[in-house]
Amino acid sequence: MAATLTGSNTKLRDDLIRLLGAERVMDSTLERHLYAKDAGVYVGNPTVVVMIETTEEVAQVVRAARRHGVPVVARGAGTGLSAGAVPEVGGVVLVTTRMNRIEEIDTENRTAWVGPGVINLDLSAATTPFGMHFAPDPSSQSACTVGGNIACNSGGPHCLSEGSTVNHVLALEVVTDTGDVMIVGSGAPDPIGLDLRGILVGSEGTLGIVTRALVKLTPNPPDVRTMAVAFPTIEDAAATVSGIIAAGLIPAALEMMDQLMMQAIENWLHAGLPVEAGALLLAEVTGVTEAVAAEAEIITSIAHGNNALSVQVAASPEEREILWKSRKSAFGAVAQAAPDYYLHDTVVPRTRLVEAMRQVYEIGERYEIIMMNVFHAGDGNLHPLMAFDASEPGRLDKVKAAADELVELCVEKGGVLSGEHGIGIEKRHLMPLLFTEMDLDAQARVKEAFDAEGVFNPGKVLPEGSRCFDFGRPVPEGAWV
Amino acid sequence: MGYQTPYAPTRTELSSCIQCGLCLPHCPTFRLTGKETDSPRGRLTAMTAVLDGITEIDEVFAETISFCLGCRACEPVCPSMVPYGRTLEGARAEISARQGGVPRRLRGWIMETWLGSPAIMRVITWATALVQRTGLARIAPRRVRSGLRGLRRIGWRAPSLRGRTFQPDREPVATVGLLTGCIMGPWFAEVHQASIALLVRAGYRVVVPSGQTCCGALAAHDGAAEGAARLAVRNAAAFRGVDYVVANAAGCSAHLKDYHHWAPGEALGEAWKVRDITELVADAVEDGRLPRLEGGRGMVALQHPCHLRNAQRIVTQPQVILEAAGYQTASIDPVCCGAAGFYSILRPDTSARLGTDKADEIRRSGATLVASANPGCEMQLRSHLAGEYRVLHPVELYMQALSGTTEGQV
Repeated sequence: MAATLTGSNTKLRDDLIRLLGAERVMDSTLERHLYAKDAGVYVGNPTVVVMIETTEEVAQVVRAARRHGVPVVARGAGTGLSAGAVPEVGGVVLVTTRMNRIEEIDTENRTAWVGPGVINLDLSAATTPFGMHFAPDPSSQSACTVGGNIACNSGGPHCLSEGSTVNHVLALEVVTDTGDVMIVGSGAPDPIGLDLRGILVGSEGTLGIVTRALVKLTPNPPDVRTMAVAFPTIEDAAATVSGIIAAGLIPAALEMMDQLMMQAIENWLHAGLPVEAGALLLAEVTGVTEAVAAEAEIITSIAHGNNALSVQVAASPEEREILWKSRKSAFGAVAQAAPDYYLHDTVVPRTRLVEAMRQVYEIGERYEIIMMNVFHAGDGNLHPLMAFDASEPGRLDKVKAAADELVELCVEKGGVLSGEHGIGIEKRHLMPLLFTEMDLDAQARVKEAFDAEGVFNPGKVLPEGSRCFDFGRPVPEGAWV
Repeated sequence: MGYQTPYAPTRTELSSCIQCGLCLPHCPTFRLTGKETDSPRGRLTAMTAVLDGITEIDEVFAETISFCLGCRACEPVCPSMVPYGRTLEGARAEISARQGGVPRRLRGWIMETWLGSPAIMRVITWATALVQRTGLARIAPRRVRSGLRGLRRIGWRAPSLRGRTFQPDREPVATVGLLTGCIMGPWFAEVHQASIALLVRAGYRVVVPSGQTCCGALAAHDGAAEGAARLAVRNAAAFRGVDYVVANAAGCSAHLKDYHHWAPGEALGEAWKVRDITELVADAVEDGRLPRLEGGRGMVALQHPCHLRNAQRIVTQPQVILEAAGYQTASIDPVCCGAAGFYSILRPDTSARLGTDKADEIRRSGATLVASANPGCEMQLRSHLAGEYRVLHPVELYMQALSGTTEGQV
């Protein structure tokens, strides 16, 4: 539960009310409770919540927070899963949902200036009349904001062919730790000088606050074919994925889900999923009609070579839409299995998908956790979903332990910690699995360069002691401090 | 403190929300303010916080819950299938249980006793007809002016249908009991006439039980839970023996379908089945029991009442009916029009903002007529369209087309 305001925090609140007006400053117990967490499992403790509308207001709020020695945590729609927007040590939660203007669409250069609070799918809807869309398509795209996508360098099913958010951001307007406004990047495809834009994308609100973004828009493909392929086992589906990639194809998307997941989705959506099958592979190919037909044929034959039970091709845009809806609503549907869930995000080399999946189920059995799987198979990006009841004593700890084991398993196989959700609080303690002290120190120095006093989202991403001269940490031999 | 009434949101209901946030962009109040407190996820988290003793039922909680339109647009998009509408009614019951005083009692009394009594509704109807004819509406308080402007032309008194039975000219397909409702009877008599005519023509025997009363939806939405429960029990008894209860106001049919929250199982019986009129008529069109007329009658802007689309998932049926009547339909964004029962009186500013947006969209749609299957929405649309369009129930348009007339009251 959130603590009550101390004397100095009351002054901060009064300052914020002077800046923004009472309607945009929230600090009652209930309001702070509602902003204490995102869509994940970690709970923080906001000091005060503000609704901001302009870049200048962000700068003023940052300056006020700094004056009062209170950190600032940016938040969009709160659909994140790694606690990036959770104010762990208190602070001003700065909500960007009202900065939701699509300011300018440049149809010739295929770019748009947008506010951080623009909903991902709204941007694609607004650019559809021009035959374009914003390519990063996380499953929460109907709700999540572009600002959050930039913070977490979000991916999605179609990032297999299009790349994640960093590939679709050209320039950013950022409020710095001193409350100044800078623009990094430009409309030019190749950034000149040091690529600060590349550093800011994926920095999870730890380096600055994005107040506007120049994003790249992607032309809609002339033709698309979406296939739902049913397999008797998850291994057959995984082997098909490896086969498709080995054949030299890069489909627009390659998604997989297991039987438990299909059943939960079907129960809600009635999409006609093959619930008797052990696994479902969603494959989508895009391009000119001839290429699409040829690639679909290759995928079908590889699938049949791996015991495919059926290949269903979406015959209309509506059928395609419902297939994608089933994929993208998957994580919400798990509530039918248990009241709480933990959606994980790790990556293995796709050549090792089969063995990794086997071990994922083993971990589920060992911890007695319902393990459902729905993931970006083409990228080897696993999303094991653990359904549980957090009100059972000790259950959440068990789930977190299982989560750590899942990460260790993936890293052991040559994978990484996170595919697209970010590190936040959730995985920062696992960072040393992947990074040496030197690596972490380099990252901590970047943080220091942008935000020496730790105004922005303190404690996120980097584990305590990442900076080499942090208290209690040995300095690598030979290092000059 | 926690909750006190048997209507309170339960742990099971609340824990089905996993806080994924997919409901947020579908919520009209969240879209207005961008605040978590004004979103379905925020409201459910707030209800859980009360259950967990994290917060009291205080002013902030009451504001969060009462700002909700009750449109339930969050329900069809929820993969966890959270029963949001039920928890909202429970939370409102808890809030009113704590608010004493005259205004709250008066509201409860109006919701149950006035709406539930044909005699009082006759007096109100007479008074409303007087207001309409004398121009008193112009000096009425702002919060009721919009509603008055949206009314159809009301007669001094409407003939009662209660106790009557209407037989088809063949072996009945089934017996349906028509809910005459609180305001549908006196203020929307033409919708009842069209409903009965179509049902009989489709082969139904239509009875209008005399012991029936207001469905109780407005009471339930306002937190007058005890009153809502008593109304439900009375209707459960009145409609015993029919195959289906049928209502032609989306808010009523939705609430009747939820009666298992309000009346004990033994009162309701196992056979409690409810249909909205649009379901029965569209079924009859598709079975060939009602004809499909030739097209070319023009374009109708089809508004989807929230309690039809979100609460009952009735999406295609009104369109089937309008197409059978020979109309083309222009699809309108299904976001709430802002009528939301008594909401337009309780929170006129929010209601007017949504109503204006909806009216603008209809003006852009190229339609020449508007169809809505709910009286509250109809009044809201007519009011915000300032009399530029005729607004009718889909079954009225169909019935008019069948009887070869395009006359209709505006």
